[in-house]
Amino acid sequence: MKKLRVLLVDDEIMIREGFKKLFDWEAHDCEVAGEAADGMEALAQIDALDPDIVIMDINIPVMNGLKVIQLSRIKHPDTAFVIVSGYDDFSYCREALRLKITDYILKPVNYEEFGSCIDNLKISLFNKNSSGETEQYEERTINKITRYMQEHLADDISLSVLSEEFYLSSQYISQLFKTEIGVNFLAYLTNIRMEKAKKLLLSSSLTIAEIAEQCGYGDYRVFTKVFRKTEGITPSQFRRDFLDS
Amino acid sequence: MLRMEIALFMVLAFVAFIYFSAGKKNTELHRTFSVLLITVMIHLVFDGVTVYTVNHMDTVPVLLNEACHRIFLGSMLFIFFLFYRYIAILVEEETGKRCCMDKPTLIYLFFSELGAFLLPVHYAVTPEGNYSDGILMIFCYVSIALYFILGTGLLFSNWNRIEKKKKTAVVIACLVELIVAILQGLHHTWLISGMGITLITLAFYLILENPDILRAELVEQKMSMLYLKSQVNPHFLYNTLDTIRIQAQLNGDKKVADLLMRLVDFFRLSVKVDRPMVSLDDETELLEAYMDLMCYRYPELQCEYDIDPELGAELVPNFILQPIVENSLLHGLKNKGYKGTVNISALKTGGDSFEILITDSGRGFEQGKKEIIDEMLLNYNKQEQKLTGNSIGILNVQKRIKLLCGREYGLWYTENEEGGVTAHIKLPLKEE
Repeated sequence: MKKLRVLLVDDEIMIREGFKKLFDWEAHDCEVAGEAADGMEALAQIDALDPDIVIMDINIPVMNGLKVIQLSRIKHPDTAFVIVSGYDDFSYCREALRLKITDYILKPVNYEEFGSCIDNLKISLFNKNSSGETEQYEERTINKITRYMQEHLADDISLSVLSEEFYLSSQYISQLFKTEIGVNFLAYLTNIRMEKAKKLLLSSSLTIAEIAEQCGYGDYRVFTKVFRKTEGITPSQFRRDFLDS
Repeated sequence: MLRMEIALFMVLAFVAFIYFSAGKKNTELHRTFSVLLITVMIHLVFDGVTVYTVNHMDTVPVLLNEACHRIFLGSMLFIFFLFYRYIAILVEEETGKRCCMDKPTLIYLFFSELGAFLLPVHYAVTPEGNYSDGILMIFCYVSIALYFILGTGLLFSNWNRIEKKKKTAVVIACLVELIVAILQGLHHTWLISGMGITLITLAFYLILENPDILRAELVEQKMSMLYLKSQVNPHFLYNTLDTIRIQAQLNGDKKVADLLMRLVDFFRLSVKVDRPMVSLDDETELLEAYMDLMCYRYPELQCEYDIDPELGAELVPNFILQPIVENSLLHGLKNKGYKGTVNISALKTGGDSFEILITDSGRGFEQGKKEIIDEMLLNYNKQEQKLTGNSIGILNVQKRIKLLCGREYGLWYTENEEGGVTAHIKLPLKEE
């Protein structure tokens, strides 16, 4: 997998430094390709570098982050935009959702947990690519595995379960995830469980404990914790926020 | 005529009672008005007395009659000086300039008072009634005219810089002063000076000094304090903390970075105080940030959560959990060296309500303390407004729950069998 190239946009140097040095880009197959401190600079850098990922603060000088995304979208349709927003300009985020940004995170940024954001990016990239089916052997294996996982989300899924099911060693499957999707097995599993949970939260009236069970969490407390860690809000907040708007 | 003086005196006594029992700022204006009120009351007493003595000169000793008249006129001169002072202070407050006439008027006051006690008093006897006249009365009219000119002069020279309401009060006072003085000057036997003085005092009282306005002033002052406080932008605070956090982590100090992160969380969540109701999730998040910080400070302190996730979206009054938990820590666990557990749970209790339980493994209530707390929480609305003390936090929580959710909900305490206490908060489920 080729390294994903990242552009950092924030007017505060400390925050850019934090992103650059505190997050292990190497381990996530990424590299910081450039930085920008205001909207105009960001526009120019996006054009010059054509990055895979832009990490964008909304409240930046000259031109706000959303405007930059809007203007760059046309020329760079494949670039993933991750919005970083302070709680004070959280209302912008609703607008951001309309611009089809890939993800948004709230300040203060917890750099350890930022990895899950990158993982999500890779998984959505993988999902996009695998819908255009190719004929390679490995491609199909990973697709088979992920389809199996999707269908058995409520069950106990682990590398050993998968290795029995597909007659492959756990190490091999683990490696497969790393090379094909770029994320580790557990991150992928959590991601699809959360996606299912979100779908259920919005489309059903199941209780949170029932949703937790359907997504493979025996203990709803664990589920709530994981959900909050990945989504930033609790399941019930998530449900309410979307039903309200 | 005596009846009018008595009526006026009673009106002013009533006004004085209300005025002195109301809370107010201690300003020169209010002080002047207080002195004015008392002086006018004394003046009215002597007004009444002189009306009697001057008409019974054959039975009342001459000296007594004269003394009463001198006090009556002396206090009247002082009152008109106070009227002038009041206007001068008012103008001064509005324009911010000190009036240059302060000293001359004070000196004049001294000499006029001297005059009131030294100049000879003369009495005119008429069929309609007796009254004092002569040089002393002319001297009084001149003094009043002088103060009147000074007062109106101040008013008109600063006409555009004075607030409309204050202008109205002064104009009414000046008009009353003018009309009454002229009428009294033309009809000596009317004896309406006391009425004029009362009317002027009332004009000031009703328009500028009544308790509602004084209270509004106090509230305004408090509000401006709050406004100043809020000028310290909370976002500035936690953005700065966040910068420090990143720097700490860049320096490799993960522990400090984590603590700062939680502090930022705590501040960020407490900034939402402008909303009366928040979701239970928000409330627990704030509590978790608080408890994480406390648990770091006291490593033997533990916190457990058991909150029904279905309740996460329920609305609860803002900022009710943290004060209760803080109370548990201070009274239950502090004296055990912060060694122990706080358990926070929320569960449906059937019907249309749910309960939040805050259980600590602390010392429990001291002898007799539980009864005091029970009593306080039961009669929450009869408690005096205390601004300090340990129970203010939980009392405040109780008041807000009762106010925002209804009388049937609220806070109470029970003792645990295994030690420590449990705070129960009963709240309504939202109707679907």
